[in-house]
Amino acid sequence: MNRKPSSISLCAAAIAAFGHFVLVTEAAEESSEKSIKKFIHQHCFECHSGSDSEGKLNFELLNLSLKSRSIRTRWVHIYDRVRNLEMPPASNDLSPKERLDFQKQLSQKLHTADIAEVAKEGRGPIRRLNRDEYQQNLRDVLKLPALDIRDILPEDRESYHFNKTTETLDISRVQLNAYLDAAEAALLQAMAVGVQPPAKKKCRIVGAKLFPSKSTFGNRQAMFFTKDSKGISNQQLDEAPDDPDVELALFRSAHWPYYGYPQGFVARLPGEYRIRFSARAVLQQPGFELKPAKQPLPMTFRARKPSGPDVSGDVRATGGIIDIQPEQNVYETTIRLRERETFEYSLLGLPVPLARNVNNGPPTYRYPPFPAGGQPGIAFQWLELEGPLSPESWPPPSHLVLFDNLPLAASSGDDGFSMQVVFRNPEEDAQRLIRRFIDAAARQPIPQAAVKKYEQLILDRLKQKASFAEAMLAGYKAFLCSGHMLYVQEPKHADDHFAIASRLSHFLTNSRPDAELLKQAKRQELRSIEILKAETDRLIDGVSFERFVTQFTDYWLDLRKIHRDEPDIRRFPEYRFDSYLVESMERETRTFFTAMVRDNLPASTLIDADFAYINDQLAGHYGLPQASGSAMRRFELPDDSPYGGLLTQASILKITSNGTSTSPVVRGAWIMDRLIGQPPPKPPASVPAVEPDIRGAKTIRELLALHAAEQSCSACHARFDPVGVPLENFDIFGRWRTRYRGLEKGESITGIDRAGHDFSYALTSTVDPRGKLLDGREFRNIIELKTILAANDRQLARNLLHQFTVYSTGTPVRFSDRVEIEEMLDACAADGYRVRDLIHSLVQSRIFLGLAGCR
Amino acid sequence: MRRRTFLRSAAVAMALPSFECMSPVFGQAATATPPRRMLLISNNLGVLPKPFFPTQTGRNYELSPYLTELAEFRNDFTVFSGLSHPDVEGGHSTENCFLTGARSPTRSGFRNTISLDQFAAEKLGQLTRFPTLNLGVNIDKANRSLSWTRDGVLLPAEDSASTLFSKMFVQGNKAAVARKLHRLNERGSILDTLLDDTRQFSRRLGSNDRSRLNQYVTSVREVEQRIQTAREWEHRPKTATTESMPDDITDKQLFFKKFELMLSIARLAFESDSTRIVTLMVDAFATPSFKLHDDQNTTDGYHNLSHHGQAEGKVKQLQDADRQQMSLLRSLLQELSEQKEDGDRLLDRTMVLFGSNMGNSNTHDNTNLPVILAGGDFKHGQHLAFNRENNKPLSNLYVNMLQRLGVDTDEFATSTGTVSGLEFQT
Repeated sequence: MNRKPSSISLCAAAIAAFGHFVLVTEAAEESSEKSIKKFIHQHCFECHSGSDSEGKLNFELLNLSLKSRSIRTRWVHIYDRVRNLEMPPASNDLSPKERLDFQKQLSQKLHTADIAEVAKEGRGPIRRLNRDEYQQNLRDVLKLPALDIRDILPEDRESYHFNKTTETLDISRVQLNAYLDAAEAALLQAMAVGVQPPAKKKCRIVGAKLFPSKSTFGNRQAMFFTKDSKGISNQQLDEAPDDPDVELALFRSAHWPYYGYPQGFVARLPGEYRIRFSARAVLQQPGFELKPAKQPLPMTFRARKPSGPDVSGDVRATGGIIDIQPEQNVYETTIRLRERETFEYSLLGLPVPLARNVNNGPPTYRYPPFPAGGQPGIAFQWLELEGPLSPESWPPPSHLVLFDNLPLAASSGDDGFSMQVVFRNPEEDAQRLIRRFIDAAARQPIPQAAVKKYEQLILDRLKQKASFAEAMLAGYKAFLCSGHMLYVQEPKHADDHFAIASRLSHFLTNSRPDAELLKQAKRQELRSIEILKAETDRLIDGVSFERFVTQFTDYWLDLRKIHRDEPDIRRFPEYRFDSYLVESMERETRTFFTAMVRDNLPASTLIDADFAYINDQLAGHYGLPQASGSAMRRFELPDDSPYGGLLTQASILKITSNGTSTSPVVRGAWIMDRLIGQPPPKPPASVPAVEPDIRGAKTIRELLALHAAEQSCSACHARFDPVGVPLENFDIFGRWRTRYRGLEKGESITGIDRAGHDFSYALTSTVDPRGKLLDGREFRNIIELKTILAANDRQLARNLLHQFTVYSTGTPVRFSDRVEIEEMLDACAADGYRVRDLIHSLVQSRIFLGLAGCR
Repeated sequence: MRRRTFLRSAAVAMALPSFECMSPVFGQAATATPPRRMLLISNNLGVLPKPFFPTQTGRNYELSPYLTELAEFRNDFTVFSGLSHPDVEGGHSTENCFLTGARSPTRSGFRNTISLDQFAAEKLGQLTRFPTLNLGVNIDKANRSLSWTRDGVLLPAEDSASTLFSKMFVQGNKAAVARKLHRLNERGSILDTLLDDTRQFSRRLGSNDRSRLNQYVTSVREVEQRIQTAREWEHRPKTATTESMPDDITDKQLFFKKFELMLSIARLAFESDSTRIVTLMVDAFATPSFKLHDDQNTTDGYHNLSHHGQAEGKVKQLQDADRQQMSLLRSLLQELSEQKEDGDRLLDRTMVLFGSNMGNSNTHDNTNLPVILAGGDFKHGQHLAFNRENNKPLSNLYVNMLQRLGVDTDEFATSTGTVSGLEFQT
């Protein structure tokens, strides 16, 4: 595969540009300072001087000592305002040449000052690992892929959209304590739980025992037992509770109040359990009869504590969706359970009957009407389970990380562990093990003097009568909370290959470098373009890349907030409790972004794609031809489809609405900020937001027109409101609409929702998607807007590079980075700024590698 | 009818050290600001909304039927309406979120977040022997609690009065203290090692790097200080008392007696400055048919009663039960106002929050939660009413309370600010 750009030419260009700027002579410096001051005096002073200066900018008080970061920041702001033709205001008699000369001189000075600081201090300071990275580091070090300690640590603050930004990754007493607790919890989990692996338990469940009770919430249509595809009475069931021909037929999704676990099982020990079961997808006919389904039905299992009605307990998703086919089949999956947990059937996308209090009376249920052809559901024949599954070897690999091959013996009882580690010579063993551990855990070589300190800690603990295992864990715990572990360093010097390895791995896998990457670092190969390129491609194509996609889209696109707003069920009853739909939206966007990188698609595809990734639930949601199964599949869209690209993905449209209403202002601003990279200024504090009138009396356009009429508002709003306008064709969950919904006036729509409740809303005014951008270009609908936005692919690519830069280095694009960013864009232009190419460019840049660059 | 069990005047008789010498941070001068405390109570089936909420708002509101029980303390509490936790829905599933505000408790993969008491304890915990105490009445300890860690681990409530009493006043056994010290010492050694290693590590760094690392060093030092304080608590003898250990009440039917006993324990904890933060979950859900009066048991379990469906007999029993709880609250306020500390009423240094995760148990409604805040030196005596259609986050009130405690924060959970109209007296 031929992947442009040629990295060699890119690096060379960057170095040339850098050289150009540092060679400014002293004399030239003096004269440029003079002309900058002259320009300011002529064109800016009138408004920006004295005590009543506009915008709190008083040039009398602002000198040109650009060594100071705060002064430099102000001048960068001034530079940008001038460059963007926002200042000086139009009334000023400034010639284009004067403007350009000023820009050139100021940018040279700024660049020189900024690059001097980078050369002295590095592009950014050391960065603390955030809690996701820390957890993943520990998972990898301790060989515990399911380790769950992240939430012991306080949530990390975010800036520049990410939780990987150095300046907000502070550390406090509370955090340090939490790191100690998290490391302790992780180490305890890594230790073997006994001399022998825990005994496995096996059981097979059939008939009446497949469900905790003979009925569930939502009337009999929600769940019953059958034989020969016909519902059987409770009496018939009681007479033959173990009849292997009895099936459990289930027709509701798992949502409070619901408990649907098989009888007679609870995990006595935490761990992985294997579930095998036989099932088929069915259609319920009136009279509690079953017919084979035409489509598969997705389901999963949820872990929970066994509890009774009305209590939700502590329900956890276990991951992994299984599509149950119409033909009877045997399925197998493994789930992770905590002590005293069981698991329950969780069918996806089905009704979720919820109690109604008719006239404030006692709670009653109503199952919603069946769709044509019958109510989809699943019939289960039997279920087997086995666990906890032990690792293939004992003691488990995680234990070997800590204690190597030292034998285990029964617990001595006084240190609280369930077994003891038998040592030969405590001092020798301790020295050997801590060295071995630090070797495995550190991301860079640790000086002997430092290793000694951890060694000494263990020996001291042994002297304090700690058991051997306890003392070792104290040493490990300390190292896992040390600066070596908690902080990643900037690659500054030519030989900082380990820092490059860590930066690359935390960028593309959100974790420590793997063995291969460390090997290249040790060989000092990570400033070689070929090796860098090969390693980058290897990480992008590897399984751990999924973590990059999740973490990056969680923050860049706010996907972590996908569940934030519950839909307003008065007007959108069809979305009530449809978590399968919301989860499908999320997967669509992650799958799409993965393809953007792995398939090296051009930046314009972000906005305008001729394909979409959909599954059964999304096909219905988007009004596309029926699709089968829960997995995301690529679907080629017809030319006139409004879908394709992030702008019209349901996830984005949901995140940019508030669950009740949509707003072109919010959506427009979000798109300009996240996707286009031209964030609108912060709204003035004193102005209330435009609140849509959900009764349906006024259209959003009428409300918007009011504030667009105000000169002070429209100056900014004209930049982003129009972008949100054609998205009014999509409701709070991103479904296509041509009319708004309200609660009072309009054409009345009534029915029964997924929960069995009556609903009634009104179709009100027609959506008007037409708009005009600030530059005068008009569009009639979303398809035309997408064409306009996608044409500016250089800006889309520039924005991506900016996002990748702060995500991967923890420091947003600095003034002195700008030249190099433009060089990268030039190099990627010919192929339409393909996304994998952009990542390669960044990885090979001095922004990423430090001033020593690559060779 | 007043049920005076043990401890009525225990505090007076106890050989309590003066509060000054309990001045908590060892070796440091007592701070000038008075100690601030809070008691957080939730009944997980709530109360009948109609007789609870006043119809008028503001300062001159007319007390509702339930609030007349608190009439003599009218100026010592504020009643709120129109508060709830946003997106905390799902009937009884919300009971563990009353102090956390964590959204969507019924959603698969839900994980609870840090509760108000634990959040406050991060700041205040070290000032007393126990950072917090979690109490319960009839509580299903394995599944319910008001108190949660940051990573959603349930901190179990204690419902045995004798256990709580021993915890506060009976010297622990030597082995247990030694174990605890051993663990604290381990952490201390770890921190020493970290400081030592960081000194070496930072020598090779630039000045920007070093300033980031300084934060780390400061954090290590602060944790060390806390460990030192914790050690000293272990060495320090527990507060003496002349009172004898209370008897536990195990009979779940004696619901009010158990409730009253736990309120006494809370008060005792404050009076002895054993802790400044107490939670109390009244697990009405787990309460079977209970003794309403000496000669009368309820016809149903508490949960069944709560789904009254407007049946007159059930509503009447609920009203009776609700009123008796308000009366218990009145006694507590009375006792806290009689007890003095440095010349102040203990009530003025103690916030008492009474509320529920249920706005209306009959219909499983989790909006418009019943909430009373008493004491804590606020300008009380009002009904602060917010929009009943579009509630304000209850966490806003929690921010007011945190600020009253001296915790420097302007947000908690789903807060969007503070509750306006609730001002400090001093």
